[in-house]
Amino acid sequence: MKKQTVYTTQGSIWKSIMLTLPMILLILLFIAGGPPDLSTPEKSLSFLFTFSFLTLLFFLILYTGRTDRYRAWGFVALALFFALTFIVNLIRARGTMTFSQETLLACEIPFCHIVTTMILIPIAITNSIIFPGSIIGGFASIASMLVIVVGVSLALGRGFCSWGCFYGGWDDGTSRILRKPKIKKINPVFRWLSFAVLLIIALVSAMSLNPVYCDWLCPFKTVTEFEKITSFTVLMKTVVFLSLFIGLVIILPVLTGKRIQCATFCPMGALLALTNKINPFDVRINKDSCSSCEKCINACPTLSLSKEGVAAGSPSITCMKCGKCIDTCSKQAIHYHIKGTPVDKNYSWARNLFLYPAFLLLVVFLGGPMQSGIIMLINLIKNGSLIN
Amino acid sequence: MKNLISVPAYIWAIACLLLIPVMFIKNDALARQLVKLPFMKVHPVYSGGEQNRQYEKDGLTITVNKPVNNTAFGKGRKEMVQVSFATQGQLPDRIDQTIDYDFNNKPDFSLTINTLNGETELISINPVVRSLWASSKVKEIWVVRVNLNNKPRP
Repeated sequence: MKKQTVYTTQGSIWKSIMLTLPMILLILLFIAGGPPDLSTPEKSLSFLFTFSFLTLLFFLILYTGRTDRYRAWGFVALALFFALTFIVNLIRARGTMTFSQETLLACEIPFCHIVTTMILIPIAITNSIIFPGSIIGGFASIASMLVIVVGVSLALGRGFCSWGCFYGGWDDGTSRILRKPKIKKINPVFRWLSFAVLLIIALVSAMSLNPVYCDWLCPFKTVTEFEKITSFTVLMKTVVFLSLFIGLVIILPVLTGKRIQCATFCPMGALLALTNKINPFDVRINKDSCSSCEKCINACPTLSLSKEGVAAGSPSITCMKCGKCIDTCSKQAIHYHIKGTPVDKNYSWARNLFLYPAFLLLVVFLGGPMQSGIIMLINLIKNGSLIN
Repeated sequence: MKNLISVPAYIWAIACLLLIPVMFIKNDALARQLVKLPFMKVHPVYSGGEQNRQYEKDGLTITVNKPVNNTAFGKGRKEMVQVSFATQGQLPDRIDQTIDYDFNNKPDFSLTINTLNGETELISINPVVRSLWASSKVKEIWVVRVNLNNKPRP
């Protein structure tokens, strides 16, 4: 008879509190950036709410053993608050969500992590960066964002896509709208589509010296900034990215329950999937405990689990480490794992060592936008305007 | 043996745990180190290229940059040249200038710019001058980019 190893991720209340304490200090450090600014009631309220929200999420992840359920709250909040604060700040600075020729010529376009996929080949060919952004200084400079991309790749690999990406929360949120998806079966082969997108946009960007995904395809321009419509070409670009946002970020995730944009169309996701190989954390399936119910395959939002993967004991490299499969498994056969350590031991250690850097990433990205966003919402209630 | 391998694995995981806070706290310092790498510069297609010559004319400081090749591989047909106009005070409402971008003492194109509404007219004198790419005020300077062909059209 096979010996079954069953473990639980659920923690005792005291152990969970003790493990939350270091994170409380980190949350305070990163959301306040020094002594908290409690000079006005709005600032105090936004700080206290953000601090409590993040602390509670981390505690619940530890105490209930449910990773994805509580991660998703923070991750969706990140997408919403990031978009809100980004758009409001743009309108305050420029009076519009659009960028003009002046912004392009002044090289002041904020650099987002997805651009990394388009600059790598041109760096090798031209020894320069094909993006009209600021190298250093200002908001989202190229150097600053590249440091983050390299650090996150080394620390979490594609875990960034579920814990730190300020766009991913959009289709993570929309994929949860329907309790039962309308389209249930999707061939996992579609997960490789993002690699094709990566290859094509990397080559076309190199040939044209133009970051084509940003210029033409990025659906998230809808919720950040986009080019002012001054010609038919720009009008076409606008139609393309709006259609992709509606299709890939809203309609298909709602119908399928999957993160379609992230799983099939994001070139950064594909690049980070490659870096999944060079960071210590992965997700493993204990074959002795697995009952082959396939609930995890159906639950995986990025099509990273297949029958073959379950049989082999690990998801594909496209895994975003969101923890949904771990939450779904009734046999608790799936768990976070540190490469090089025994697969069937020290589950809690592996989980906690993964959760600290992953959750901290969420804290760093969500802390600022959430506090600013709450102040904006209070102003909306008080003055009827988000902008003033 | 398995336990021995586990030790560096756990150290690696703990290092990653430290990497995230360090990456954000020291982001500025790390970014400044990164900038020292030779590739950390914006491609001339976006920055406008290196300055070629600067001269004063009609109360304007005119800067003509070196033409920039628009293709990644080799020296392609398409180029771009950036010309900028600045003054000590406010820009005039209208800029009317003939530019010799290659400094061969023959005018290549003339520009008429209405700085109030941005309307810009390009008249090509040298056949390599193709079209207007961009014309806009950037801070207190008026910047114009003109598309060129390397070889005259047949």
